[in-house]
Amino acid sequence: MTGGEQLAQYLMSGLTTGSIYALVALGFCLIHKATHIVNFAQGDFLSLGGLMMYSLLHWAGLPAPLAFVLAVAAVALVGAALERLAIRPAKSRDAMVLIFITVAASMFMRGIFKEVWGKQALAMPPLSPDVALKFLGATFTPQNLWVLGITLAAIALLSFFFRATLTGKAMRAVAANPRAAALMGIDTDRMVLYSFALAGALGGLAGVIITPITTLNYQVGVMMGLKGFASAVLGGYGSFTGAIAGGLALGLLESLATGVVSSAYKDLIAFVILLAVLFVRPGGLLGRAQQVRV
Amino acid sequence: MSRGQVFYLQMGCLGLAVLLAPLFMSNPYYLNVLNVVALNVIAVTGLNLLIGFAGAVSLGHAAFIGLGAYLSGMLSSIWGWPPLAAALAAAVLAALVALVIGLPTLRLEGNYLVMATLGFNLIVGIIMLQADQYTGGPSGLSGIEPVRLLGMTFSDDQSFYWLAWAVALLGLALARNLAASRVGRGLRALHDSPLAAAAVGVPTANYKVRVFVLSAVYASISGSLYAHYFGIITPRTFDIFRSVELVTMCLVGGMGSLWGGFIGAAFLTPLPQALHVFDQYKDVFYGGLLMVLLIREPEGLVGAWRRLRPRFGPKATGRPA
Amino acid sequence: MDDILAVENLSLSFGGLQALDGVSFSAPRGLVTAIIGPNGAGKTSAINCMSGVYRPQGGRVMLDGRQASGAPQHVLARRGLTRTFQNLQVFANLSVLENVMVGLHAVTKSGFLGAMFRLPGHRAEERAIRERALEMLDFIGLAELSGQPAGQLSYGDRKRVELARALVGRPKLVLLDEPVAGLNPAETEEMGSILLKVRGTGVSLLLVEHDMALVMRVSDKVVVLHFGRKIAEGTPHEIQNHPEVIATYLGGREEPINGVAEAAHA
Repeated sequence: MTGGEQLAQYLMSGLTTGSIYALVALGFCLIHKATHIVNFAQGDFLSLGGLMMYSLLHWAGLPAPLAFVLAVAAVALVGAALERLAIRPAKSRDAMVLIFITVAASMFMRGIFKEVWGKQALAMPPLSPDVALKFLGATFTPQNLWVLGITLAAIALLSFFFRATLTGKAMRAVAANPRAAALMGIDTDRMVLYSFALAGALGGLAGVIITPITTLNYQVGVMMGLKGFASAVLGGYGSFTGAIAGGLALGLLESLATGVVSSAYKDLIAFVILLAVLFVRPGGLLGRAQQVRV
Repeated sequence: MSRGQVFYLQMGCLGLAVLLAPLFMSNPYYLNVLNVVALNVIAVTGLNLLIGFAGAVSLGHAAFIGLGAYLSGMLSSIWGWPPLAAALAAAVLAALVALVIGLPTLRLEGNYLVMATLGFNLIVGIIMLQADQYTGGPSGLSGIEPVRLLGMTFSDDQSFYWLAWAVALLGLALARNLAASRVGRGLRALHDSPLAAAAVGVPTANYKVRVFVLSAVYASISGSLYAHYFGIITPRTFDIFRSVELVTMCLVGGMGSLWGGFIGAAFLTPLPQALHVFDQYKDVFYGGLLMVLLIREPEGLVGAWRRLRPRFGPKATGRPA
Repeated sequence: MDDILAVENLSLSFGGLQALDGVSFSAPRGLVTAIIGPNGAGKTSAINCMSGVYRPQGGRVMLDGRQASGAPQHVLARRGLTRTFQNLQVFANLSVLENVMVGLHAVTKSGFLGAMFRLPGHRAEERAIRERALEMLDFIGLAELSGQPAGQLSYGDRKRVELARALVGRPKLVLLDEPVAGLNPAETEEMGSILLKVRGTGVSLLLVEHDMALVMRVSDKVVVLHFGRKIAEGTPHEIQNHPEVIATYLGGREEPINGVAEAAHA
């Protein structure tokens, strides 16, 4: 393989994982906007997406498109349930307490996944049969294209939803100023619920499309969740554009760095980048530091 | 009675209980459990300082325990250092690592430290598994020397019991001294209102970092003792689950209350031993317990106690509703 | 005149909102200076710039002849500048005594290790802190509440805790953000007396206040802000008769402020 071909290969795999990081980062971002907390169960949404898809295909024998839709919907439902059953009834409104409720929920969910699906890796079939495709010297599978295409479509849909629909606009209003939004007659509780459901859907979607490439097990989402968070930080926590840019940047950086560092330590890279960004530009690469009003 | 006197009275009672407990232990296995309780008390006390004072939570304390355990174990078994010197060196390294993680993240809201420490825990796990020429990989590091001090060897359950509990009680006393001091007041003030604390001269970011470093040192010491006691350590002992377990112990007892942490550790440590089925379902159990607790009783057992018995205890009037 | 604080050409904006626009004034040492002005005049922004909460975009603040703007809050506290807050910021979970003891943080120095191992220097310092805080509670009239958690006090008592906390370290200058807002007439009267008593101890005070009766009673100098600009500066008497001030307060462009009519015609 020539240097150019190798580069193309790295770019392709970087964009693929980067898309997933972007989807996870968008999930973090949605919940942050609605509630100002970090949802630690975001990675588990990803795991669940893959696991549901696997079960619907193999246990229920459903056709792939139907399984796809149902898997994503199921995770959205779990996201909504998390908000309804754990976040809303909480006595304390302290952000730290709410964050730890999501930590606990994450562990609880993982425990359940382990019981239902076991600890072993599951073989997840790709959305269309694997054939080796070549482009600019990079070898890839149709699944790579599915990941890129579906991510793009999801981002477009999300953008349309926030710009053009009434519910989307209401959610943005709640994010900008919950009190004013409530005074305008917007049901803020409902919008928070929608944010969790949407974050669940994004996580589930990421899980359905990436697990045929990586692997599928009950805790596949843990590392992905962390990297999605790193991406969100990289792009300036809370910004949608930042989340997408951060995800792609992290995916590419990681992929290129694997050429230099041993792949066993690949996961270190995201963490080092996260700390470095926090050190130098806590507002993220695209964000800017805000002055707090007292 | 002043609060200081109350604390030392409580400490005295606990000390007495520690002295007498072995007399009632027919089965050395129970001593083993008590030893693990002591080790957890050490780590939880440190973590509690962080939660109660800096208002920040670490999800990577198991990694600091692991750092203490592996470094101490490697230094003593591979390079032949005396266990105590190895433990000291491990504590220094844990402090440095905590400094590197804490400096950038503790200036920001709590979220960032939680994620950074979670990431740190995953990374430490990866290194423990991958760097197998030093760490022994998945099967772990074995043949670690016991602690020797003043001609005594702390290798069996009984002798280690004294060592572990002496360190645990000392750790509690030191933490309490800190809480009752100028620095401790500054830290508690910072938890209530960072703005007002800064206005009276508390260097808020600096103090948070220092408390984080201190809590990492507590964890590292707990880990080093663990390694020299059991003689064998594996990566699984120091995974994220362990970190969540430690946080749960802090929260079950009561956020930021030193005795609360003690109660949490004493209550939750023996559970896996008591319930055999427990091991398989521990994530569901801990996750569920922590969730219910945080939703219903965010101030933990100590908070519930204060609320239910408003006329009892040194902090009789409790917190505002 | 000898000034403890000088504000030079201070500017601050939030997005498009110009909170302070080239404001300059000074606070004389040992005296009481008041900043008044309608809501949104930039008073609290000025206090926040002076105390290091905000970093002004233009101009500078000089504390006792040395630049203060840009320095973090805790450093300014060590240089003798403390403050109270408009929306009370007592340490709710600390006792009243502990709140005041924290006020001595800037002027004491024992560290983590000294505290953990109770070294002799630390113990002596702790005793001194406790004694000084108790003295302060006596001075401000809170001695009998010393063991109460500060979060459970009445509003008026919490205001006094904040003041005691700001004063206990014998600062050079205390910034008071609306010291009598929300107090009843009796409490306001008492707070006025406390402020005059503090002035008698040689501490310089700079307050932002809406209550004109109090301002006229305790201040030696008054600065008037309006929409982020200074429109007048002088003795209380001069300000009462300043045409632009009267127009601002009585001209109906802004809501009238508590007590201003009586004060303006007194």
